[in-house]
This record gives sequence, structure tokens and C-alpha cells, in this order.
Amino acid sequence: MAKLRLWSTYFKQALSSILYNRLIYAISVGTIAISLLIFGAFVLLSVNVKTWVQGWGQTLSISVYLKDGVDEGTREGIRTAIGTLQGGEITGFVSKEKALQDMKGMLGSQAGLLDGLTRNPLPASFEVAFRNVDRVKFEPKKIKEALEKVTGVDEVQYSEQWLDQFEGLLYVLKVAGLAIGGLLCVAVLFIITNTIKLAIYSRRNEIEIYKLVGATDWYVKAPLLIEGAFQGLLGGLIALGILLAIHFVLSFKVIQIFGLPFMGFVFLSESYALGILSLGLVLGLLGSFIAIGRFFRF
Amino acid sequence: MIQLFHVSKTFGPTAALKEIDLRIRTGEFAFVTGPSGAGKTTLLRLIFGAEAPTEGQIVINGINLSRIGGTNLDLLRRKIGFVFQDFKLLSRRTVSQNVALALEVTGEKRSVVRKKTHQILRAVGLAPKEEAYPIELSGGEQQRVAIARAMINDPLILLADEPTGNLDPDITREIMVLFRSINLRGTTVVIATHSRELLRNTDQRIIVLHRGKVLE
Repeated sequence: MAKLRLWSTYFKQALSSILYNRLIYAISVGTIAISLLIFGAFVLLSVNVKTWVQGWGQTLSISVYLKDGVDEGTREGIRTAIGTLQGGEITGFVSKEKALQDMKGMLGSQAGLLDGLTRNPLPASFEVAFRNVDRVKFEPKKIKEALEKVTGVDEVQYSEQWLDQFEGLLYVLKVAGLAIGGLLCVAVLFIITNTIKLAIYSRRNEIEIYKLVGATDWYVKAPLLIEGAFQGLLGGLIALGILLAIHFVLSFKVIQIFGLPFMGFVFLSESYALGILSLGLVLGLLGSFIAIGRFFRF
Repeated sequence: MIQLFHVSKTFGPTAALKEIDLRIRTGEFAFVTGPSGAGKTTLLRLIFGAEAPTEGQIVINGINLSRIGGTNLDLLRRKIGFVFQDFKLLSRRTVSQNVALALEVTGEKRSVVRKKTHQILRAVGLAPKEEAYPIELSGGEQQRVAIARAMINDPLILLADEPTGNLDPDITREIMVLFRSINLRGTTVVIATHSRELLRNTDQRIIVLHRGKVLE
């Protein structure tokens, strides 16, 4: 019961100090919120780009081109190989004749250009779509490599160019997010440490008197740790709130890149949101810890 | 009982106290006097555990201060009241809040804190000013608040460092009567002062310090 009363006193003291130094705390919380917002924006963008890349990959269509003169048995072998791919489904077989016909159709009035051909140069192909595949495990490059090893398969094509570009973007976002996030964490730590140091300076007489009447070190330190944790947590909450507002605005926009519609703008999962809050909390506690360590021995 | 065995304290090259051997019995009333720089404040701070001796041992009620530290020292301090010349009151807290502080740090029940605070403020004659802030009080009243705060935990020892240094003679007399009444209740009282006026008509023990040595 005495411990509970002491904890209630710690919280009261922390609240009283925050209210007394409210301007300093407001500036500190604002800076923490902006820093965590920048970091959170990178995380949010990474999460969305990853989702889009995976989403596009998920409904990926690939064309499996066959070598000329492939017999029925080999073709069945290829069909079976495609059937073993998780989520893979043959949506059609395009024979050499059909391919030529399609080409003529595409060329329209220029179709006469193909009349001089002595033989049909176009290969037959299977059109394959991948639906409802595991987003994380799905790797189109590996599918391409595996299928090209099957007898009778000449080449496998898929829209790897833009997928690679987005995977590259994802990588850049991750690296930039980590680098900027790391720097921002150091900045946040510095801000919290200084805010708590200012709080200690402004309360040094009070602290001296607490020690005079027999207060334990913990009695003095606990409110300061609470103040740091509160700053970090509040900064994290504000950053998440702003991110949510940005997400809300963007979710009404229809954006297209390279003619590919976005798969929707997702928000951070609970674990990511909790991660940002925890980061704020940990930075707050760590900042207080460093500041307190300069004045007291632990 | 306060016991000092061959206690020395140096600050850099300066020796504040030199090989002090001293014994103050339980319930005793003693003055520590001497010119400025004689080591009076250092002696009180050593007894309080705010400073560690460079050499020697200090034993308070059977507890060797050099063998305890951290929380145990904080707990021991709850049994030693300390009163300063500059009162050391919190300006943002009322009289009762300042006094209650010494009980709050122990995690005592709020009802007990309220009751004991009221009782001790009545004892020092400040019950009508419970809700006043230190700035609204005279010097003598502020010192009585500080004494009330030092007394609320029923300390075994009360240390006072120049407690009347900022007070006029009439108020000084009042404060000394208060210390005497505290002593009569069994608390050991040690007062550091350089006031000859205060020592002139006393029959209490006087410990004289000169250049860090006891000349009792």
C-alpha cells in the first residue's frame, strides 16, 4: 500500500513538473513528434511500397514460351510443371498460329508486313496467372528460373522491370529510413536528455530538500523517469495521429504509377504502431536515464 | 548516541576537521561553536551522512555510517532532523505541504500525514498559517516551519546549523525555547552556532571547534 502511495506521489510530482515547465515540455514533445513522424512516414511508405510490389506480384501474369517443334508429351510435361507452382493457374495456351494471328491483329493495316515470312517465327506459349499466393514467399524470379529449366521451355517473361524498380525503391526506403531514423533517434535522445536536465536544474533545491528529509534516490529519480517516458510516449502518439490523418487523406486519392493502379493505401499494422510508441517510450526513458545519471549515481 | 572516532575531513588540500573524537549522549543538548571556518557545518554534515569522513568512523545509535550507504543511509536520515539557517523551504508549497514532505517520502498514509502535520504545526504555534506560503511568513515563522518538518518523523537527533542566524533576539529566544522543549521530549539536539549571545547564559554542553580541532 505504501508503495502504491509512493507511485501516486511520483506521478503527481511528474505532472506538477510538466505543468510548471509546460513550455519546455511542449517544445520537446513537439520536436519528438516531428522526428517520430518523419521516421513513421518512412516506415509507412516502405510498408505500402512493399504491399504494392507484393500485390502486383500476386496477380502476376507470366508467359511461358515453348521451343519450336515441341511434341504433345513435352507440352503436357510443361503443363504439369506449371501446375505444381503454388497459386499458378494456366489461363490459356497460345499456339504459334494464334500468336501470329494476334500479331497481325495488333499490326492492323500493317499486317501485310508479315506476308513475306517463309515460316512463323513466333513461339507457342502458356499464359499463367498467379492468384492468392503467399505474399511473403512469392518470388517471381525463382519461378522464372525454375520454369526455364523444364524441357521444351524456351523463355519465361514477366514484367520484371517495374517490379525490380519497386524492389529497388523499397530497398532505398529501408536504408534511408534506417539511416534517418537512427539520426532522429539520437536527436530525440539529446532533446529528452536536455529537457530532463533543465527539469533537474529547476528543481535542484527541491531535490536537495527531499534528500534532506530522507527521501530515497528512487523517490527523486522516479518522477524524472516518468517525465521522460511521458514525453516520448506523447510524442509517439502525436506522430501516429498525424500519420493516421495523412493516411486518411491519401486513402481517398487514386494514384497511378507506370499505368499500374495502387493497390490501396494501407496504414501501419498494430505491431508497427506499437513499435513507434515503444520507440518513443524507450527513447524517453533512456534520455531521462542519461540526464539523471549525470546528477545521481544509480 | 553520536560517536566520532578519530574523524578527519579534508577538502582538497584544506583540512576541515582533524582527528575528532567526540561523544554526544542520547537526549543531550549540545552547542557546537567556533569561528567561521572552524568546521561546525562540516561536523554536522558528517553526522547527517551528507559527507563521508576522509578518515575515522562515525557511529549513530550503534550504526556505523561508513558501513551503510544508499537507501539505508536515507532511512537513517529519517531519524535525524536537520534545520538550516536559510530554512530550506519549498516556495511553491504551503506550510503544511512543506512539513508533510518529510512524511510523504516515507509513503505514510495520507490521513496520518494530515493528522501529524496538523499536530506538529499546533505544537510550534503555526496552526493558523497551515495554508500560507513561506513567502507570507516572517523569518521566525519560517524557521518554526523548518523545525516542524525536522520533528514530524519523531527524530532521535535534531541537528541545527546556525538556526537563529537570520533572526532577531526575541525570535531567537522563542526558537531556543522550542529546541529546549524538543530536547525535553528525549531528542538529542546539536546546534552549531557562532553566536556568543546564544551561549552566554546557557548551562548546556558547549563543544568548541578551532581550526578543525575540538577544544571542549
